Amino acid sequence: MLFNSVAFLIFLPVVVLLYYLLPQKFCWVLLLAASYVFYGSWKIEFLCLIIFSTIVDFYVGKLMHRATEKWRRNALLAVSLTANLGLLFVFKYLVLFLPPMDPMIANIYTVDHPFLGFIVQGIYFTIPVGISFYTFQTLSYTIDIYHRRIEPETHIGHFALFVTFFPQLVAGPIERFSRLMPQLKEKHQATYRQFQKAFRLMLYGFFIKMCIADNLSPLVDMVYDNPALFNGWSTWFGTFGFGLQIYTDFAGYSLIAQGAALCLGINLIDNFKTPYFSTSIGEFWNRWHISLSNWFRDYLYIPLGGNKVSLLRWSVNILAVFIISGFWHGANYTFLIWGAIHGLLYLVERGINARKRLPQTRLVRFIGGILIFASVNLAWLFFRIDTLTDVPNHVSQLFHSTGATVLELTWPLVAMLGVFLVFELLLYNNRIDRLLDKFNLPLRWTIYALFVWCITAWAGVTNHPFIYFQF
Amino acid sequence: MHKGLHTTLKIAIRLLVGAVVLFSFNLIYWKYFWMKDLDKHGPMLYNLIEIQDTFDALYFGESSNFTTHPDDYNQLRISDNISAEFEGWRLGALNHGAYHVGMFRPLVSRVHNFKNRKTVIVTMNLRTFNQDVIYSPSEANLQLSTRFYKRSPALLNRVFVSFNYYDNRSGHERDLLKWKAWTYDTLKSTYDSISFEKNTIRRWCEVPKFLDSNGVQDDAKRQLADQYIKAYAFQIDEHNPMLKEFDDLVGIAKRKNLNLVFNLIPENIEDAQLYIGDNLVWLMRSNRDFLVERYTEQGILVVDNLELLESKHFIDRAVIPQEHYDAEGRERVGKSVANALKNQRTNVTDPE
Repeated sequence: MLFNSVAFLIFLPVVVLLYYLLPQKFCWVLLLAASYVFYGSWKIEFLCLIIFSTIVDFYVGKLMHRATEKWRRNALLAVSLTANLGLLFVFKYLVLFLPPMDPMIANIYTVDHPFLGFIVQGIYFTIPVGISFYTFQTLSYTIDIYHRRIEPETHIGHFALFVTFFPQLVAGPIERFSRLMPQLKEKHQATYRQFQKAFRLMLYGFFIKMCIADNLSPLVDMVYDNPALFNGWSTWFGTFGFGLQIYTDFAGYSLIAQGAALCLGINLIDNFKTPYFSTSIGEFWNRWHISLSNWFRDYLYIPLGGNKVSLLRWSVNILAVFIISGFWHGANYTFLIWGAIHGLLYLVERGINARKRLPQTRLVRFIGGILIFASVNLAWLFFRIDTLTDVPNHVSQLFHSTGATVLELTWPLVAMLGVFLVFELLLYNNRIDRLLDKFNLPLRWTIYALFVWCITAWAGVTNHPFIYFQF
Repeated sequence: MHKGLHTTLKIAIRLLVGAVVLFSFNLIYWKYFWMKDLDKHGPMLYNLIEIQDTFDALYFGESSNFTTHPDDYNQLRISDNISAEFEGWRLGALNHGAYHVGMFRPLVSRVHNFKNRKTVIVTMNLRTFNQDVIYSPSEANLQLSTRFYKRSPALLNRVFVSFNYYDNRSGHERDLLKWKAWTYDTLKSTYDSISFEKNTIRRWCEVPKFLDSNGVQDDAKRQLADQYIKAYAFQIDEHNPMLKEFDDLVGIAKRKNLNLVFNLIPENIEDAQLYIGDNLVWLMRSNRDFLVERYTEQGILVVDNLELLESKHFIDRAVIPQEHYDAEGRERVGKSVANALKNQRTNVTDPE
């Protein structure tokens, strides 16, 4: 079930209504059932995977907590890692090592062998939605128990809800057990203020996803699908357009997720904080997909030694973390290169800062901002491109004056981009629900009306699932 | 005031304002943006709105109406050929490649009610009842357009499209459904039902064909033969979604007092016989009989052109079974429909 679907617009209010009508002790049942319905609506078979992951980590967590011997705890951690990363490997990365398969052959095979066919489809064509997100969320649970940072959950139903909580199930934010679980168990009172905040988050989320990302998507796709056809100007537009598209797509999703969770009284962490206004790569990663950056920091970078190792080792670790983070996004070498570029940029930036720390004047920050914006957007080329062999074509096309143009921007799209830019500037170090508090009622309602108009009349038309669903 | 009542009032006022705003937005959208969206995403309704008041009758067609061959002696469409048979009678053509009754139905529901009974000719393509068309990968795009054709407030249709409220299953998903149907949908009866064991499309396609004396298969002919099986080896029953669309179309026509005419367009029976044989031709004919009988009983004029043309008039015959005709073919189909209309006028006291 997509957030930008009529089904979800009906599903959410029904769940919210029942949630506040039911006695506290049944709320987890409702939310778990709703989450399974939400997830199962993609492909009912995928529920098997999430249930498998839930059962493994629930019992591993319990046993690990009880175990006193180091070897036993290590072995149990290995079981959790193998189960979750194994699932991820099979459904996301195994395809790299297998010969290509004709979709038609896969379909015929699925008709003849439904169960094995579902696995073949999952491996080759329809990666189980959100598998990278929920496996990381459950991994964080077992690792935290391993380090005795948290106590394990004793109720499998509650734990299953932690794994599958529908607003953040398929594309995050990746939550921690210590933060989400107490909120899921708590009894929440419906308040006007809470729904007001939720409405604002969702409204802005829908606006940037459906009006900016979905309208840019066909233009960007045209450039990336036929790089040789377009002139330099259009190719630049496509390249930077994708940067804008992926940001608005993912940040929009995260805001809707936050809003949906808030309707149930649950606060999810902020996943994006105007990342394109960052003045350094370090700052960018503190503002972009924050829950994943934090995950890699806490469960990979720090265990590798953090900043308490030699400079050489630290540099290797940084590069490794960025490359693994790139690979997390997808089974393609292009993602590795994208991660490596960010790692190298980070190392260069730290190297420059270590030699001479630049004065943080407005001008320096502005120039830094421009450089980071340009570098990050050019690096997206490796994220979006299908194969490495396409890169030279695309790059050479950036400097071609001949070719077709895709810059047939309609005035509604230009207007919406303008509105978006103004709001991004206003939202620097702020959040939409808090920002709107500063405005008086008529202005606030004008803004609501503006967003509603854009979503209803000018949103993108063709079906564009959220980009991060494929990860 | 009690706090709960205050909050309820606050919410009620907001809901009311919201409803007024949405109503106004619908008017603004309809007046200034709807036609632009239609032009882009719902072209046939755009054309219908443009032409319907200036024509005496309407022809809803797909590529069979406008596809021509470079060697054709003229480029006239089937609809032009029908029109040519009636002096002073203007037949407006609405065409779109790959369209079928699923798209025509909502469009016909948007034809204005006129004092004079208006004739609406709808293309009835036998092949569109098969699984290959029902689960076609291009269906998601067609369904998107269809959403714009619905008789709901313009802004609501727009919202439904952007919130994915239409059948937008991917091509891969549809392909899987098609293979399921080809594997499990069995033919209930066939021409030589006693000996006929290949009762699904997959089994029938698996049968070796066009083997020479050394047992070597003529691949080109075999592939074409299999295309014929996939195109016509089905039996229309009450569960067929296209049948339901035609039924609904009949209901709409009756409510709007339209003179609905189905033009059952020609299929390449000759090549079906050549590549497959009696069994397939029997299926085509029995499906035709089913449709003609069903809709004639309901008072609809069904012009049966299924066997009107010989193989030579099908311009894609070497590649695929497709309803694309040469100039003579289009002319004969046009004349056939025109004659049926003339007969109808003679036999029925029709204000048209």
